[in-house]
Amino acid sequence: MFRYIVRRILVMIPTLLIISALVFTIIELPPGDYFESYVADLQAQGETVDMQQIAYLRKEYGFDKPPVERYFVWLWGMMHGNFGYSFEYQLPVTKLIGDRIYLSIIVSLVTIVFTWIIAFPIGIYSATRQYSWSDYGLTFLGLIGLATPNFLLALIFMYFANLWFGTSIGGLMADQFINQPMSWAKFLSVLDHLWIPVIIIGTSHTAGMIRRLRANLLDELQKQYVVTAKAKGLPAGRALVKYPLRMALNFFISDIGSILPNLISGAEVTAIVLSLQTTGPLLVQALRSQDMYLAGSFLMVLAFLTVIGVLVSDIALAFLDPRIRLQGGSTK
Amino acid sequence: MKYRLGGLLFVVLSFLWVAAAGAADYVETPSLAAEVAAGKLPPVAKRLPETPRVVDLKAMGREPGKPGGTIHMLMGSPKDIRMMTVYGYARFVVFNKDYRIVPDILKSFDVKDGRIVIFHLRPGHKWSDGHPFTAEDIRFTWEDVMNNEELSPFGLPREMLVDGKPPIFTVIDPETVRFEWAAPNPDFLPALAGARPLYLAMPAHYLKQFHAKYQGPAKLAKMVEDAQVRSWTNLFIRMARQYRPENPDLPTLEPWMNISHMPTDRFIFKRNPYFHRVDKEGHQLPYADQVVMTVVSSSLIPAKTGTGDADLQARYLRFDNYTFLKQAEDRSHFDVTLWKNGGGSAVALVPNLNVADPVWRKLFRDARFRRALSLAINRDEINQAVFFGLASPSANTVLPESPLYTDKLRTDWSTFDPARANKLVDEIGLTKRGPEGYRLLPDGRKIEIVVETAGESTLQTDVLQLVTDYWKKIGIKLFIKTSQRDVLRSRAMSGDAMMTVWSGVDNALCTPDMNPAEFVPTSEAQLQWPQWGLYYEANGVKGQKPDMPAAEELMKLYGDWRHSATPEGREAAWKKILQINASQVFTIGTVNAAMQPVVVSRRLHNVPKQGIYSFEPGAYFGIYMPDTFWFSAK
Repeated sequence: MFRYIVRRILVMIPTLLIISALVFTIIELPPGDYFESYVADLQAQGETVDMQQIAYLRKEYGFDKPPVERYFVWLWGMMHGNFGYSFEYQLPVTKLIGDRIYLSIIVSLVTIVFTWIIAFPIGIYSATRQYSWSDYGLTFLGLIGLATPNFLLALIFMYFANLWFGTSIGGLMADQFINQPMSWAKFLSVLDHLWIPVIIIGTSHTAGMIRRLRANLLDELQKQYVVTAKAKGLPAGRALVKYPLRMALNFFISDIGSILPNLISGAEVTAIVLSLQTTGPLLVQALRSQDMYLAGSFLMVLAFLTVIGVLVSDIALAFLDPRIRLQGGSTK
Repeated sequence: MKYRLGGLLFVVLSFLWVAAAGAADYVETPSLAAEVAAGKLPPVAKRLPETPRVVDLKAMGREPGKPGGTIHMLMGSPKDIRMMTVYGYARFVVFNKDYRIVPDILKSFDVKDGRIVIFHLRPGHKWSDGHPFTAEDIRFTWEDVMNNEELSPFGLPREMLVDGKPPIFTVIDPETVRFEWAAPNPDFLPALAGARPLYLAMPAHYLKQFHAKYQGPAKLAKMVEDAQVRSWTNLFIRMARQYRPENPDLPTLEPWMNISHMPTDRFIFKRNPYFHRVDKEGHQLPYADQVVMTVVSSSLIPAKTGTGDADLQARYLRFDNYTFLKQAEDRSHFDVTLWKNGGGSAVALVPNLNVADPVWRKLFRDARFRRALSLAINRDEINQAVFFGLASPSANTVLPESPLYTDKLRTDWSTFDPARANKLVDEIGLTKRGPEGYRLLPDGRKIEIVVETAGESTLQTDVLQLVTDYWKKIGIKLFIKTSQRDVLRSRAMSGDAMMTVWSGVDNALCTPDMNPAEFVPTSEAQLQWPQWGLYYEANGVKGQKPDMPAAEELMKLYGDWRHSATPEGREAAWKKILQINASQVFTIGTVNAAMQPVVVSRRLHNVPKQGIYSFEPGAYFGIYMPDTFWFSAK
């Protein structure tokens, strides 16, 4: 087991290096650079730009050097905790991300808990009553949730929340609370706004989770040990929860791998439509304006969290399920 | 309750003040009264300069107001923080409503022969931290910033140079400075009045701590390290950024000062207690205590504006939001008005006179061909179909509000006359037609004009679809090619792009004192003659020398304008430049003065119903003085 973990950790290093090269290449691919899009933005508003100054900025930020050289400078910086400089915000990247992360975590945590609360009972219910009307009904609801685009739901919710409850449009709190210290009123305002993103982001996740739980549980329920347990007179609840449900939870453990990066940046599109002060819009805007160090460093953080998350879930699975542990050993 | 208490305090205090200083004096601002009473701020008479700028609102046709309140605005990105500097529009000199240059921060200025400019500062004028604003600040900016090779590696701003030579700068006394050039410098004052101005005064008392000349190397090195920047110049530039007021500690002369630290999504600008303007009733301006800019996704801004989240909003509102906003007017208690855009043309077609293909180059340089292309366009139909009839058909030239405007400039070669257009093309000798009825070039190729767009605006492609039909009637085929901004620019420069579509001139509200550079080959960004523009910009080292008589004449007139010492001389040069542009049709304009929705809270007074929404000149709201906008209770 120990060797397994060490090996997995060592594999992470080349994985991350490859990811960093990919990230850098993809961000470099579109024509132009940040300064081009900056000029475009200014000119679209009728402002004039001194091209000489742009040329100077380019040189100042090392954009006259070849991409390979810039890649290694960036990589070297990251290894020392220097994630580069955001051109758009004129601030070091670390200062920018830090501020938004805690709101992102709140939104994501609440959403994940919401998803579990809804998805688990429904999944179990529809698995135990397969092909009943209630199964069809709930499946239908879940599929609607999965099929409706999040941004559309977001717009509809926002409109009616404003019309019926007077909730201000967009954001995670009423405008006057931004940058204010936490207070009861601010907390209430956050609650007031939080339910919209939670429901919207939650619906699609919920639907997926219901389907997977139902499918996994159905597989288990048909197995002989369940029949035996029932035949021996085990109560229906225990016969469900004690073994089949546990066995059906493997997918859930492996999901942890994707939960970790999701905590930091979940549902970018919804966050943009709702104008949440989370990290998602920051990332997308950075990609759009080719603010490459911000975007690149951000993606690297996500990649790092994904790799860690996958490691954690693999280890957890190996602990929980002896079958996986044994197979893992034999492929070595 | 708080408000009433403040009001009471205000009444009491103002009585005290009147009793102490005599009648007809300045009135203390209620929101600052407590700080004054506590001794943290000097009273208003001590805060204002000895001779403040007195704004006579009644003479401007507006109502004198009451201080207080917060103006909310929505912005799409944190870098829009610069809009505060634009809207605030406190400059050494400013454009007034008739686009004449008048002193603002300056008490007065004298110009001799167009080449000697003397500034008189207001005695007792103070920065927003209370430190006196004097000639020392200008000296610091000139000697230690603009002429510092490390801070300004690309040299002095272009507006400070005449024929490449800098002025002689003299401090006459703490309130008087002089700039003296060898020849007239007509760019100087308009640059000071710009929406993005030439800054001549930085707060020396604050900025010296970041400057290598005044700060010890050890302390400076530590500050550089703490700020995570590469060098002291980066630190200085970041701390001294006046146009983008990201540094809340930087003292300012603007009506509102930023008090929020980056990064944030909500910028709060507090009134500058030392602002130099006052109304006739003795209220120090600005009226509004605060301006708050909230940063949200730009696509949400129309919706948020519609629910009343903004008191004054034009940025990020487009014409197609108009109906939605109009519908929300009563529910959210605001008024939507339509202001005119200040550009020369909403969409303009730009033939590239430097195109690489020799046959096309010859054709594009034939004025008759350009005129024919322009005459074939039905501008009324474009106006109706794309702009709901709310714009006005025009060549790419100045707006009627400009003193240089004549009807002829607008209509010359830009009426709808396909018969005449056909005749003009026939005259050139392009009479042979191909199989589909399209004309043939002298070398037998079909006449197919590829118009390249930057792919950023659907408006452009809508207009181009219409133009395709119009040009078909004179036997010319048009293809639209969607490209990308910097690709487009480099293709125009290399001569690969034969025609591009762009907006018209940025500034169509020209006065004789403004620089006519946009109408003359002076910049590589001008897509009708990028090579000639580059030639001018690079002082003849790069690019091509203009080799077309009309362009040569434009250059000569531009020289005349630059070197003319009198307003009359400049006006004459301007008029000729515009005439040549109109008759030569270097760019083919369609419609201009398109509409910009402006949302104004019903509680906010003094915002004009009719206005021109233009960055330069005008600084969007700036020219209408947002410091005079005020809130009533209802």
